[in-house]
Amino acid sequence: MRRLAALLMLCLLAAARPAAADLVYVLNSTDATISILDAFTRQEVRRIPALREVHHLVLSPDGRDLLIADSGGNEIFFVDPATGDVRRRERISNPYHLDFSPDGRHLVIASLRRNQVDIYDANGPTLLARLRMPEKPSHMAFSPDARVVYVTLQGSGTVAAISLETRQPLWEAPVGREPAGIIWHRGRLIVGIMGSENFVVLNPQTQQIERTIPVGRGAHTIFPAPDGRALWATSRVQSRLAEIDPDTLEVRRLIELPGGPDCIAFDPDGRIWATLRWAGRIARVDPRSGEFETIRVGRSPHGIFVHPRRAERN
Amino acid sequence: MLDAFNRALDDVTGWIFEAAVQPAMYALGLMDWADDALQWIEFGLFGLFTILVVYAVCRPLEAWRPVEPVTDRGAIRTDIVYTLLTRLGLLPMVAFVLLASLQAWWAGLVADSGFVPPTLETLIPGLREMPLLAFLLYVVILDFGEYWRHRFQHMFGWWWALHSIHHAQRQMTFWTDDRNHILDEIIAALWFGTLALLIGVPPGQFPLLVLIMRLAESLSHANVRLSFGRLGERLLVSPRFHRVHHGVMSAAEHGRNYAVLFPVWDWIFGTADFRRDHYPRTGDPEAPEALATGGWLRQQVVGLRRMAGAIFRRGAA
Repeated sequence: MRRLAALLMLCLLAAARPAAADLVYVLNSTDATISILDAFTRQEVRRIPALREVHHLVLSPDGRDLLIADSGGNEIFFVDPATGDVRRRERISNPYHLDFSPDGRHLVIASLRRNQVDIYDANGPTLLARLRMPEKPSHMAFSPDARVVYVTLQGSGTVAAISLETRQPLWEAPVGREPAGIIWHRGRLIVGIMGSENFVVLNPQTQQIERTIPVGRGAHTIFPAPDGRALWATSRVQSRLAEIDPDTLEVRRLIELPGGPDCIAFDPDGRIWATLRWAGRIARVDPRSGEFETIRVGRSPHGIFVHPRRAERN
Repeated sequence: MLDAFNRALDDVTGWIFEAAVQPAMYALGLMDWADDALQWIEFGLFGLFTILVVYAVCRPLEAWRPVEPVTDRGAIRTDIVYTLLTRLGLLPMVAFVLLASLQAWWAGLVADSGFVPPTLETLIPGLREMPLLAFLLYVVILDFGEYWRHRFQHMFGWWWALHSIHHAQRQMTFWTDDRNHILDEIIAALWFGTLALLIGVPPGQFPLLVLIMRLAESLSHANVRLSFGRLGERLLVSPRFHRVHHGVMSAAEHGRNYAVLFPVWDWIFGTADFRRDHYPRTGDPEAPEALATGGWLRQQVVGLRRMAGAIFRRGAA
């Protein structure tokens, strides 16, 4: 009888499991590997060897390729996000952070270790311009019209604006000690200031800071939830996730998340997947309850991406 | 085993960083260096663990079959200072901070030239799926590079003036491995950096193997009557093999047995001495006494002065 009950339970579990679960990509920067996890079982289904140091990743505008940047290995992997298969590799000098302009024409790469920002034609990628910047270009955001890319300069404490039309710097504005993550939000730039407990709201027109958003020591990165109802920010020193109201920019809620939360991705159910840099783990957070579980991955996990696959079975 | 070691190292590193180092860096306004600090903690922890493992292996061997009695504990204490400064990352970290901007400038210059430094895996694509094999191939190539760097250290007068600090030790023990002038260490880093331009830097996910290599290097300096046998002597540098290199007759340009890990290089280039019963006295009779028995700082100063003397004497000649 007990065996039968166990069998039934297994069948129920199998029925509850999606035919094709979402895939979670985690870049283990110190291990030089890419973990691919089944989002349902939270088990690692595959580990792709990279070369030296993978930090950030971005989906191509057509959704066909996941670009994974290996800064130490001087290479970008083009991966099929649905399978994890490496389609091709491109030799690119020290790619740290990377993103496509909203019009899909440009791929911009920030090189933290060589103080340069590269602008590529996204179709190649073919290098169009290389700009020598002050210290440590880190993260980036674009104006919605794709005319300007804004780059945080971690070592200089500034944000630099670069025209994608002239491929020349436009201005540089001080924002605070060690700026990191940056997003465009309703005509403003929101910038994580790692050397403080605040995000700052920068007006790109006036280059003035209009307000601060306190989230916790070591304010780091910020991501809009896909449903547009919240912004989620991390602080790496105080180890927190902060839910921010996108209208008022007030902090609604703080979730203590030990391990140094860094980058964030969202699954189709709105759950948050965050890398915990100092713990060799990622966290799967339920934004409604604030509850979370952690999953062991490789060393110093940094970039993260969720590829939704549930729709693919229909 | 490799995974378990990496995880344990990672867990302890992360805990120290999160609990102590990161809050301090935040307070000091140094968050810009947070990622680097994490790596340096790991470097230091790994170094500490290496010292403990080396001690646990080499010390009993030295007590078991010493080549010579210990008569100068002061000289050994100086070698311990060298080891702690090097292995715990203090000197490398200072160099890293001082040279970070220079390194970024250099990396930018290389990128501007259009050259993208390769890795062995890009040169030999089959290695991509075999990181362990790639790592081992790096070890062999870099050891070949070390063989030639070592020969040049003995060949050029100014370089020998620095390297003779390493050879001046008359009381050689496993602690002697790190007994090097700071400038010599910087030149070694530049040498490594040049090789890295050609073949890239090795993958960093095998600290356990690095530990084994460090153990082999330290053991080769140990005060122990130990030969690896007819075949083993030709495969891995033994305490016997390396003692011949440190022998008083082997100083300066008359050297033998330059290899660091693999004796095959000495074999190929005709500098090998495989006599298995030969355990000579060590030291450099021509070196000033300060290099043998002086403290760390004194040896650094004397080393620099000797190097300057070697350069200017040559210039005047």
